[in-house]
Amino acid sequence: MNGRNQILLLRFAAPVVSVLLALAAGALFMLVAGYNPWQVYATLLTFSLGRADSIGSILFYATPLLFAGLAVAVALKSGILNIGVEGQYLIGAFCGAWVGFSLHGLPGWLHLPLAVAAAMAGSMLWALLPAYLKLYRGVHEVISTILLNYVAFSLLHWLVAEVFMDRNQQIPAGLGSPLIRTPLFDAAVAAPKLHGLLRLFGLDVPDYIAVNLFLPLGILLAVGCWFLFRHTPLGYEIAATGQGPLAARNVGIAVNRVQLKTFLLSGAIGGLVGLSHLFGYYDSFDLDFPRNFGFSGIAVALLANNHPLGVIPSALLFGLLQRGGEGIQAFLTVPMELVVVLQGIMILCVALTMRWLDRLLLRRERGTGA
Amino acid sequence: MRSIHRTKRLDKKWLLCLILLLVLIVGGCGQAPAAPAAPAKQPEANKLRVGLVFDVGGRGDKSFNDGAYAGLEAAKKELGDRLEIKVLEPAGSGDNREQLLRLLAQEKSDLVFGVGFMFTDAIRKVAKDFPQTKFVLVDGYIPDLKPESNIACLLYREQEGAFLVGSMAAMKSSSGKIGFIGGMQIPLIEKFEAGYTAGARYAKPDIVVMADYVGTTSLAFKDPVKGKELALRQLSAGVDVLFAAAGSSGLGALDAVVAQKKLFIGVDSDQSLNATPEQRPFILTSMLKRVDVAVQDTIRQVGAAAFKGGYREFGLRENGVGYADNEYNRAVVAPYKSKLEEIRNRILAGDIKIPINRKELK
Repeated sequence: MNGRNQILLLRFAAPVVSVLLALAAGALFMLVAGYNPWQVYATLLTFSLGRADSIGSILFYATPLLFAGLAVAVALKSGILNIGVEGQYLIGAFCGAWVGFSLHGLPGWLHLPLAVAAAMAGSMLWALLPAYLKLYRGVHEVISTILLNYVAFSLLHWLVAEVFMDRNQQIPAGLGSPLIRTPLFDAAVAAPKLHGLLRLFGLDVPDYIAVNLFLPLGILLAVGCWFLFRHTPLGYEIAATGQGPLAARNVGIAVNRVQLKTFLLSGAIGGLVGLSHLFGYYDSFDLDFPRNFGFSGIAVALLANNHPLGVIPSALLFGLLQRGGEGIQAFLTVPMELVVVLQGIMILCVALTMRWLDRLLLRRERGTGA
Repeated sequence: MRSIHRTKRLDKKWLLCLILLLVLIVGGCGQAPAAPAAPAKQPEANKLRVGLVFDVGGRGDKSFNDGAYAGLEAAKKELGDRLEIKVLEPAGSGDNREQLLRLLAQEKSDLVFGVGFMFTDAIRKVAKDFPQTKFVLVDGYIPDLKPESNIACLLYREQEGAFLVGSMAAMKSSSGKIGFIGGMQIPLIEKFEAGYTAGARYAKPDIVVMADYVGTTSLAFKDPVKGKELALRQLSAGVDVLFAAAGSSGLGALDAVVAQKKLFIGVDSDQSLNATPEQRPFILTSMLKRVDVAVQDTIRQVGAAAFKGGYREFGLRENGVGYADNEYNRAVVAPYKSKLEEIRNRILAGDIKIPINRKELK
């Protein structure tokens, strides 16, 4: 049998096989937990892939994870483990929101890009801190970014609950609770929805699912990152730095500079995380603005093996698992705790088996290539 | 060549594993009846379908969220098979509250609860699209509702209940120092703190009240470790009665108080009832916020086709808030009862104005 064809086949079969294995592991878990795996999977799949609103939801849930995955993957390429995307995107989103609620009367084509720029700048500045600490003071980025996340959370609490809180909410004193949020955004800052475009593809997503412009933006960015690493000198320097900083330095790459650039790039991309929700779905920045995108981004990048294009299916898988989780909660009354465990098992299995198959393939390629 | 052989062997082993796993699943599925994925079933006539969405990670706090669930269970006991309940919880990011409410409504629920003011916008949006379904928002306020609206807001005056337990804490304390631990510093939790502190000062003007907050994210309501740490700090500073309004973070504070044999005041649910026998002697009382009663009442109303939209207020007058008086703490509470009754009457008469935040407290 032709070795090369076999390898090619295996290469395409690898993701499928790893998903199958993940399904198997998840099934085992469900059997132990007392649920019928067949029924759970059937519901998960028919619910999340058989309805237009589910497809829309998956795309909507995947959008911030796309950016978060890219932010982590880019940094990792140069050997930086940016755990701080969580804090960076929250700070960024707040900066974007600030532009959103404080400026009025601008046209949409100007207001939204301005807000996006503010978000990217804010997030990048928040990343500059650990970048500086790492490159000029030798503080490991894992420590500094984790700690800075907490600083970011507290800062946000102060900004939203104290400084900018909208106190003009119509609510009787001493009864119930107001929302802890900024004033409402100017309408011009709303992200254009994607429904018309999706309809061209025969997908009639209902209005209440807020799939928006940021989705194609994320896909474009993924392609851009792929291009950067594949075809540009900077991309080459980043990859070389990541694979061996000493070797890179010896061939004349300014390692510190490259890492600084990558860290800032990662921060800037991080600023785009969550904007799809902020300007596509919400009408203000709430203290309860969705959390965890940054941490999920680490898993998304891991699953994609740091490949910028791999981040796309990886983020979609996360979106699918979230939507599927809603379905099995609602239809089979599987409690959320089990849903989360199931999601974790599946993601872990996919990541592990992908890695395993990759190594297998590599070994085989070396074998036949010799 | 050797490497090829090795990979071949590996392949075989790996294939075997896969087949084994697949056999296991198929075998497992064979045992259980393979029902088809539940599509929208025809709603049976006369069935009452009720859905409830907790807040992120709220289930199991033995306090606010579990209080709402207790109401659901009580209704289930009362109505039996007639009642069909579904309980959901948002994803970790909390960005799918609206979708969960929508799913419940699409599945022809008669009544849907959103537990917590974070559901305010989601309920406002979904209720518009499902005029047949009734929605209940706990703690949140949606303007311009009328009795014929399909939304009811349950609004509590927590500060009134907190005032009473604050008075009790001050009277009970022998060190002259009492403590408060809140989840996150937000207007809702400040109501508890302000009421508690004001009540304590009312009963004993020279009382010292220490107040701490667990955190700055919604994680603050599910961080028992931090709750315990803060409690230990307060206890070592001389606090001997401690009130926690912090979701399941309060359970950590309870641990600390029990270990040092001081007194704890629970919140929302009667926490003596769901505590262990070892903990009970150290629970002075709980400030009640009877979400359970309101949930059960609303289900009853919908069952009798008598749902009323709009606003329902719960304070001392409506017995919506108060303090727990149960078989475990009856003897401890007894000496203070008449004094507390007097305070209660003064609040109802409007003689005492209770602050609702830190600013008013000063």
